[in-house]
Amino acid sequence: MAVNKEELKEIIIKDLFLEDITPAEIEDDAPLFGEGLGLDSLDAVELVVIIQKHYKIEIKDMDEGRVAFNSINSLADFIGEKQAS
Amino acid sequence: MKQNAPVAITGTGCLSASGLSLEENMNSLFSGIRNVDVPTGFSSTHTSKYPVFEIKGNIPGLTDDDRKKYSRTSQLGLAAAREALKNAGLNAENLSGLRVGVCMGTTVGCAMNDEPFYRDFRDRLKPDMFPIKKYLNSNPSSAISCEYSLKGPCQTLVNACASGTDAIGVGTSWIRAGICDIVIAGGTDELSRISYNGFISLMITSERACMPFDKNRKGLNLGEGAAVLILEGEDSLKKRKKDPKAFVLGYGTACDGYHLTAPHPDGKGLRRALKEVFADSGKTPEDIGFINAHGTSTPDNDRTESKILRELLPGIPFLSTKGYTGHTLGAAGAIEAAYTVACLEQGRIPANAGFSETDPELCVTPVTENTEILKKTALSESLAFGGQNSVLILSTEGI
Amino acid sequence: MEAAVNGIGVVGGFGRGTADLLKYLKSGTVPAPSNSEFYPVYAADISYLDTVIPKRALRRIDHFSQLALSGIYLAIEDAGLESIDKPSTGLIICSGYGSAKTTFSFLDSIFDDGDACASPTLFSNSVHNAAAGHISIILGLEGPSSTISQFDMSVPSALLTALQWLEEDRVDHIMFGAVDEYCDVMGYSYQRYYGMNENTKMAPLVPGQQSAVPGEGAVFFLLSKKESAKGYGSVSSVKAGSLFDKGIVFPQDSFYILNADGHKKTDRNYHDIIPHGSLASCYTPLYGSMPVGTAFDMAVGALSFKEKTLFSSPESVGCLNESRVLKEKCINRYENISCVKVSRQDELSIITLSSR
Repeated sequence: MAVNKEELKEIIIKDLFLEDITPAEIEDDAPLFGEGLGLDSLDAVELVVIIQKHYKIEIKDMDEGRVAFNSINSLADFIGEKQAS
Repeated sequence: MKQNAPVAITGTGCLSASGLSLEENMNSLFSGIRNVDVPTGFSSTHTSKYPVFEIKGNIPGLTDDDRKKYSRTSQLGLAAAREALKNAGLNAENLSGLRVGVCMGTTVGCAMNDEPFYRDFRDRLKPDMFPIKKYLNSNPSSAISCEYSLKGPCQTLVNACASGTDAIGVGTSWIRAGICDIVIAGGTDELSRISYNGFISLMITSERACMPFDKNRKGLNLGEGAAVLILEGEDSLKKRKKDPKAFVLGYGTACDGYHLTAPHPDGKGLRRALKEVFADSGKTPEDIGFINAHGTSTPDNDRTESKILRELLPGIPFLSTKGYTGHTLGAAGAIEAAYTVACLEQGRIPANAGFSETDPELCVTPVTENTEILKKTALSESLAFGGQNSVLILSTEGI
Repeated sequence: MEAAVNGIGVVGGFGRGTADLLKYLKSGTVPAPSNSEFYPVYAADISYLDTVIPKRALRRIDHFSQLALSGIYLAIEDAGLESIDKPSTGLIICSGYGSAKTTFSFLDSIFDDGDACASPTLFSNSVHNAAAGHISIILGLEGPSSTISQFDMSVPSALLTALQWLEEDRVDHIMFGAVDEYCDVMGYSYQRYYGMNENTKMAPLVPGQQSAVPGEGAVFFLLSKKESAKGYGSVSSVKAGSLFDKGIVFPQDSFYILNADGHKKTDRNYHDIIPHGSLASCYTPLYGSMPVGTAFDMAVGALSFKEKTLFSSPESVGCLNESRVLKEKCINRYENISCVKVSRQDELSIITLSSR
């Protein structure tokens, strides 16, 4: 089942306290960290918790997280794959 | 800043998973013993077991009353203070006529995080007030001050993992300024399920025994413990005809102003803290026999610290003792200061436990075996959350 | 070492900034506490921060740290500083209870979704020095920073360090802040200890009356070695220790501001400790009862120098056995104003401000 990207964006905005932006402002393929959305290392570990909490997927290692957290697209793909397996 | 006077250390006390006295700790360290295991004091639902350095058995020298009245953090602090005072030849009686201050660092010791109480509160079950009362009784500095009926100032520092170092720095100031005759200074922290969960959530906790400065380090292990140094002014030393066992020569502290949980990649605050501690002590890197590094075994901490060791303190033997104690948070700086004093007294330092392979990115190697040290002066470093960096220079020169 | 006061930032139940505090002081009126689920409270409003810091920069910063930031920005504004001398400025924050709300929010994250879902953002905000961390990042500070938590003695204890840093030439300027935050567990504790408070008017120094209303807020002082051009005077001495320590001497010829805060057991200690025949005042009904309350008293003391006025104690304040409680506004001719606090653990602090 494909992951609802709009829902994912809403979760990220709420749980990472990004309430100054709207889901529409997050582009699906824009980087979440650094230049793009401007997230940092503390957001990365919070994102691990968010994925666990909302999608019941455990990310044990940041090396795994780093690839998944590239963009909304990569994150949605990652969640989709994990849910299918 | 200007150079300031040395301050005498006349007593030391320390408890950790490595032992219930400073002597026991040093014996463990030089024998390479590491008491690291899954926690027994609490359980968790994590799928991995993250090991900890836990103090097993009873904390020595406490009465049943102490156990009922105080948090475990304050109990540990109290036990370390008792050992240090005894070591300094002091007791409640001869302290009574003196201006004695207490300055302790902690993290858990100032947090009201009693889980059963708060769970009941959330569930509208009107919990009993005993945990609140215990929390209000258990400020680590006040607990010591109260037990010995001391009249001087009390200060509990909550500068995260640098608290113990800062407490000794502040105590040193109080002696220099003549505010106190004696200061009981150190740090204390218990293992708490709350900080255990917190550090795991930050993904800086290792599933294996920690490996400070090693290429394959994956994170820290939490630990618990306490240590106290007795700092004493000239007048009191003369009156008691007491010889110091060591000196605090200097203290430096500076913040990174960079990130809440990560150190500045170039060690900005640590550089300034080092500059300050050398100015305060009148010493130079050439005088330093060894460095007791913070070395938590997290990728970030050890990277930043190594850069500074490489650039500003090259060639000086160094080690992290976290491989013997785990990261004891607010107690760490004090425990490491006590270890530093004991190492200077013995003229040797233990091997950096957990290290086996140099990280080519760090380009530095800690001591890998017990090593003789001839110089009489050493440096102890702490880096903390909130971008806090604090360092002490300790010495047995002239003793 | 004396430390000149060059700027004051206050936020609390009375509003924000010295102007709001002065409004009440000059009129002799008191703000009304607001209602919370468990107890009345003098709550502080932090909406001001949105006007000085971009929302994005505040996103992960909790209420406690935002109280602190409000205090510091108001102090910088009050001092008229255009820039901060970063290399020679230190930061000291003290708090009785720290970021209480976030401590419990972190527990919520564990209780709600399990140990594996403990929030790292909440955890890092719950660490006591998080406020100092946030401030040093936002202001780009480079000097020393320290956070002190000593319940009712937090302010004098932390001030000792501030004076010492100046004395040792560690820094030339210090941003000194005192912050406390209200949370529901505190309200519940008040309710359990003192019963429901129907009468929300604080009446400190009225014998036998338990009238404390918890407060929250922040006070920041910009302290420096150089003399103040602001007329706030300076912090000239800090004494702290046991109530029973005869070695703690009260200054003579000082005007006293007492942090009697409607806790009947501690309030009765104020009667006998200050020199008999002194003139004293008490302003806690303006901001409520909190461990760092004496820092608010210091702000009033500094304003008394600046305004050359001793402000009347609010009408509800009781009286002292051997000294007079000021109940009308008058010209301030005192060179020293001493802020006195007695704790529930029988500790005592005297912080003396001098007009010089």
